[in-house]
Amino acid sequence: MKITSGVLLILTLGAAPAWAVLGEYESSVSLDQKYMRGEDRVISAQGYRLHQITSPNGAVVTEYVTPEGKVFGVSWRAPFIPNMEQLLGSYATPVEQAARAQTRRRGGPFIVRANDFVFVSGGHMRAFHGSAYVPSLLPKNVSAEVVR
Amino acid sequence: MRLKRYSVVPLAGLLCVAASLFFVASCGGGNSNSSPPPNSNPVPSITSLSPASATVGAPAQTLTIAGTNFLSSSTVTYNAVAHTATYVSSTQLTVPLSAADLATAGSFPVVVTNPAPGGGASNSVNLTVSAPKNVVTLDVNLGPTNDYDNGLFASVEVCEPGSSTNCTTVPDVLVDTGSYGLRLLSGAVSGLTLPAVTDASGNDVQECVQFISMAYVWGPVVQADIHLSGESASSASIQIISESPQYPAPSSCVPTSNAQDSNSVSALGANGILGVANFPQDCGSGCTAASNGVPQYFSCPSGNCQITSVPTTSTQGQVWNPVALFSQDNNGVLVSLPSVAAGGAATASGLLIFGIGTQTNNALGSAQVYGVTDQAYFTTTYNGTQYSDSFIDSGSNAYFFLDSATLGNLDCPDNTGWYCPAATESFTVTNTGTNGTTGSLTFSIENADNLFNTGYAAFNDLGGDSGTSPSTDYFDFGVPFFYDRNVFVGIAGQTVTGVTNVPYGFWAF
Repeated sequence: MKITSGVLLILTLGAAPAWAVLGEYESSVSLDQKYMRGEDRVISAQGYRLHQITSPNGAVVTEYVTPEGKVFGVSWRAPFIPNMEQLLGSYATPVEQAARAQTRRRGGPFIVRANDFVFVSGGHMRAFHGSAYVPSLLPKNVSAEVVR
Repeated sequence: MRLKRYSVVPLAGLLCVAASLFFVASCGGGNSNSSPPPNSNPVPSITSLSPASATVGAPAQTLTIAGTNFLSSSTVTYNAVAHTATYVSSTQLTVPLSAADLATAGSFPVVVTNPAPGGGASNSVNLTVSAPKNVVTLDVNLGPTNDYDNGLFASVEVCEPGSSTNCTTVPDVLVDTGSYGLRLLSGAVSGLTLPAVTDASGNDVQECVQFISMAYVWGPVVQADIHLSGESASSASIQIISESPQYPAPSSCVPTSNAQDSNSVSALGANGILGVANFPQDCGSGCTAASNGVPQYFSCPSGNCQITSVPTTSTQGQVWNPVALFSQDNNGVLVSLPSVAAGGAATASGLLIFGIGTQTNNALGSAQVYGVTDQAYFTTTYNGTQYSDSFIDSGSNAYFFLDSATLGNLDCPDNTGWYCPAATESFTVTNTGTNGTTGSLTFSIENADNLFNTGYAAFNDLGGDSGTSPSTDYFDFGVPFFYDRNVFVGIAGQTVTGVTNVPYGFWAF
């Protein structure tokens, strides 16, 4: 994650817990706000910005937003796996389909490479992490590497 | 010696013959009340052995024999095989016992024999070599569903708390160094009545455990006595994976609304999971207050499942790594698996040994200790890039590392997500623990399509991808890493002699 020297940092303590859904506009807010209640930190980076939401339950969800306000990537790091429908919206469907089609890989990371959608779920008990992005939504000159 | 003895023996014989005309009893062996005549060797006698007993697998050691009438010419047999004796005094001999002498359980007779003239064999005293009380057999096989690659299984005995008769032994439980606690399918313990663990409001506690595969297991937390070899965890919290759940799994735990559970043998590929990783509890402080909002422990009054608070206490608390509850050998485990040749093996078997540095069979020896983070990770460096979310996991059935693009497109044609190099390819990485330990490691990857075509269960060189780009990659050292190694898992907060500065536990190998 490259951050410009002129970092814009906004701390909205106690703000409404919210994160936008992958592929939708930044203003889209999750319906379920029960267990991600937390601190939303907005960071401006080269060619995109990100929201980092830290919750009291130890979850950190980061969403990556294009200059036009669309969420092109999300990542999480938490003692549990967040609800994928809240995080990914309609992209939860290919995740579920791929999960049902898994063979032979046991206990290892779960990876989905669908049409214009890339997803990885990793880690282990008490320490999960993962990320997802939509390649066609990546801002110009921004690498998928920033979603981590 | 021989010449001298030759000259003495006839003399002694003559004396005996002469004497026997008057005192028959004074000649010949066996009468301990009579002193041997001059120049006749006494019969030896063993009073005790030190050690008096040993454990299977103990290292080579010296056996000290105490008794009487030992001679510098005394010979010793152990299990009817001659062993070179060292004469210390007329009341002490020593013999070296090799590791092979102590490799199998049994009672092995020790006998001292003095040579003629006179002489003869002592009484026989047994050295008892007993099976160690901290060892469970591990088997790598295809598991109960006949489709598990590199599945590492053990049998676990569970009993109703306090009972020695209402018990059942559950075979094919997956041994997992990547999770915490015992979880058993309901069908595997259906004959037992196991009391519920309840929360502060008196409601039965249910647990939902998520897998990174987007599956989960769900069911009540109950108390059971767990027996593994000679070790026991009494009234331990375990999870029952319900094959017919009383309540639907809560949506906060289910990753997607129609996600598939693993509440069956067919989905789990095992009868349960035995988690022996580095933390005592399976959640920790995140689950001690419902307000924390970690969707793992629930109670369901009126059928409405809500997150509940469950303490980290060893009774009526969270599910524990049972090893941490043992009265001894409770500071970790050693997983010891044999080597598996290139091309795989039909099956493999090894040992799960409890405790680290607590018995003769679990010494750290030359193993290097790598401290882990509060998330049980360490750092693996490959080609100059650091992957800080790396870990060792017997619940992963392969090396999962990097991504196909980074490695030059090693994707298998037949098996998605697996690596199929044209020729066996080796990778060298550097691992770094939080305590500063650094060590190099090399492993090999073979063509997974070819390995799977064997129909075997054990594969040393099996690998697949862990991420989608360098930023999400990590190294997950699965079952193949364990082959041909002794791998120790140290539990956080427990003492291991000689190990410091590892607050969250460690790996050692």
